[in-house]
Amino acid sequence: MIAVEGVSKTYGKKKNEFSALRNVSFVIPDGATVAIVGKSGSGKSTLMHIMSGLDRPQEGRIVINDENILTLKPKAVDKFRSEQMSFIFQSFFVQGNESCYNNVSLPLEIARVPFRKRKAMIEKALSAVELLDKKKSRARDLSGGQKQRLAIARAIVNDPTVLFADEPTGNLDSATGGVIERLLFDYNKKHGTTLIIVTHDIDLAKQCDMQILIKDGEIQKIVGGER
Amino acid sequence: MKRIDIMKRAGRNLRQAKGRTFLTSLAIAVGAFTLTMALAAGQGTRDYADKLLQNNIDPQAMFIVKDKSLFEQGGTVGLREYDPDVSTSSSGRPGTTIKQLNESDIAYFNKRGDLTDIIPVYTLSPKWVEFQGNTKKYIGSVDYYDATILNETKAGTLPSLGSQIADNEATVPQKYAEILGVEAQALIGKTVSVTFVQQATTASDEQIQQAFLSGGTQAVQNLLTPQEKTFTYTIRAVTKTPTMSFSATPRIFISANSARIANNYQTEGTTGFGKYMGVSALVKSGSSPDTVKSDLETHGYASQTAKDAQSILFTIVNTLQGIVAGFGLLTLLASLFGIINTQYISVLERTSQIGLMKALGMSKKAIAKLFRYEAAWIGLLGGLIGAVTAFIVGTLTNPAISKALDIGDDRILEFVWWQIAAMIGALVLIAIIAGWLPSRKAARLDPIEALRTE
Repeated sequence: MIAVEGVSKTYGKKKNEFSALRNVSFVIPDGATVAIVGKSGSGKSTLMHIMSGLDRPQEGRIVINDENILTLKPKAVDKFRSEQMSFIFQSFFVQGNESCYNNVSLPLEIARVPFRKRKAMIEKALSAVELLDKKKSRARDLSGGQKQRLAIARAIVNDPTVLFADEPTGNLDSATGGVIERLLFDYNKKHGTTLIIVTHDIDLAKQCDMQILIKDGEIQKIVGGER
Repeated sequence: MKRIDIMKRAGRNLRQAKGRTFLTSLAIAVGAFTLTMALAAGQGTRDYADKLLQNNIDPQAMFIVKDKSLFEQGGTVGLREYDPDVSTSSSGRPGTTIKQLNESDIAYFNKRGDLTDIIPVYTLSPKWVEFQGNTKKYIGSVDYYDATILNETKAGTLPSLGSQIADNEATVPQKYAEILGVEAQALIGKTVSVTFVQQATTASDEQIQQAFLSGGTQAVQNLLTPQEKTFTYTIRAVTKTPTMSFSATPRIFISANSARIANNYQTEGTTGFGKYMGVSALVKSGSSPDTVKSDLETHGYASQTAKDAQSILFTIVNTLQGIVAGFGLLTLLASLFGIINTQYISVLERTSQIGLMKALGMSKKAIAKLFRYEAAWIGLLGGLIGAVTAFIVGTLTNPAISKALDIGDDRILEFVWWQIAAMIGALVLIAIIAGWLPSRKAARLDPIEALRTE
């Protein structure tokens, strides 16, 4: 369960002060699929950053598994992220000059998974996204859809409890985007990983159990889920 | 993240930017090259000097003086309290006053029992030298025969090491034979005549009066004008110029005893008579030169042992080596800015990668390490390139250098693997220090800023 309680975030100071989030609260049950929907500049990305501990709000609590991650030390947050969370981004952020294998290996290295255990995990993740045959190819030689699949492999290799996806289909055509969506939802069903998608795509949002609509830093509407 | 994983990633990152990595490390390679050469040249020169000293100086040999200032620079000139023992040296530079050794000092050295072969410094200044069968007069150097060195001969024979030549014998260097235009063998058994001048006596009024009374003006003139005396020796051997020699000037050698006689003739009647700047001696085997030195010191004598001479020479070598190494370090300093610059650019280029790694939970420390290790790899690569190039160039040019310096088979560049390894190790460390600023920038990068899509 992820509980967001009274989160407010402002940028800048005094006259230039800008409220990105205002008193945002909601609860996401374990294993749910959640869409955070809003236009650009609505604060949805900021919300994702705060939920993952990358950014810190001025006010509020983020309680994941009964622990307020905002009170943890940076080192503990890093550890928490490396073991329980993963990310997929609109522009993939795969390391083009590394092989697919080494791209997927990165989260395992960060989480200090022993060397001998890695190979099986990496190959399992790559075959889940049907990229096992590309394991030695350099990531820059992949197509856009393949890159995002690689990013998914990287995100699931560590078996996270929460998977954040920031506009995962934003840079893809609808056919490839559809493949990515399927992969994400299937993974959620199979493994019970909480999937949080940040998007402005209403069609994608509608496939989720819960939709959180954000406008100008405030929650406009929450559809589904438990309140 | 584990160290080994960070190192591997750092290595891969560099391999993927081959051109940049190579060029940056080339800058370091120049410094490493210079340093390796400086190390090799220093080592080679020290080894050569060592060999030189071993061939030239008996480890038991020492040089004893009364005036400590002889071993100190600039100490011999200046105002000092008057001392009846202090006399203006007959051979010293004008204006220098040196406390000299006299016969009683030499008697003391003889009495000590731990010194042998005590030979005072005879400063022989022959007016001219004549060779049998040649009408011309020549100017040449004459010195006493040093029994501690065995010279090679071109013709004739020399006594075994440690034995003096006879008082009526002399050796002539090969160079002289060449100048005279005769075969070395032809000189053996011939005579060489050396003419010395007796310095003008400072005669007292009484002496002048007496001379005048007995022989008139002529007698006074004889008394006051310098006199000459010719000593004749038989040439026993023609010596080769040794390759391992300190004194480049070839000399005629006469026995120590003959030198003493000639020296006494030269100085007779002057204040310099029976006084010597110093003596050379051998410490008897069984006694250590260092102990004798410190004991002599308590008796008011200063001395230099073979070891001291070596350290003086080494000081010069070390200074020269330091200068070359200094240039190498300057080059290194310049190349450090190269590393800093390259790594800064690398950080900027990989902003999103850094952001991603942070999002995946990589700690600041690990990210900083990643960039520092990249710098370390660059340092290692540069060090290896420089050292290997220096080794190849040095090995190839060594024969040519030896030939140009005319030092026979000796190598002036000597590569010592542990010195090179230590230098490369130091380079890696320095590179890591250079990578510190960029790595800090990478570690401090705001992940949200880094992940913002363009």
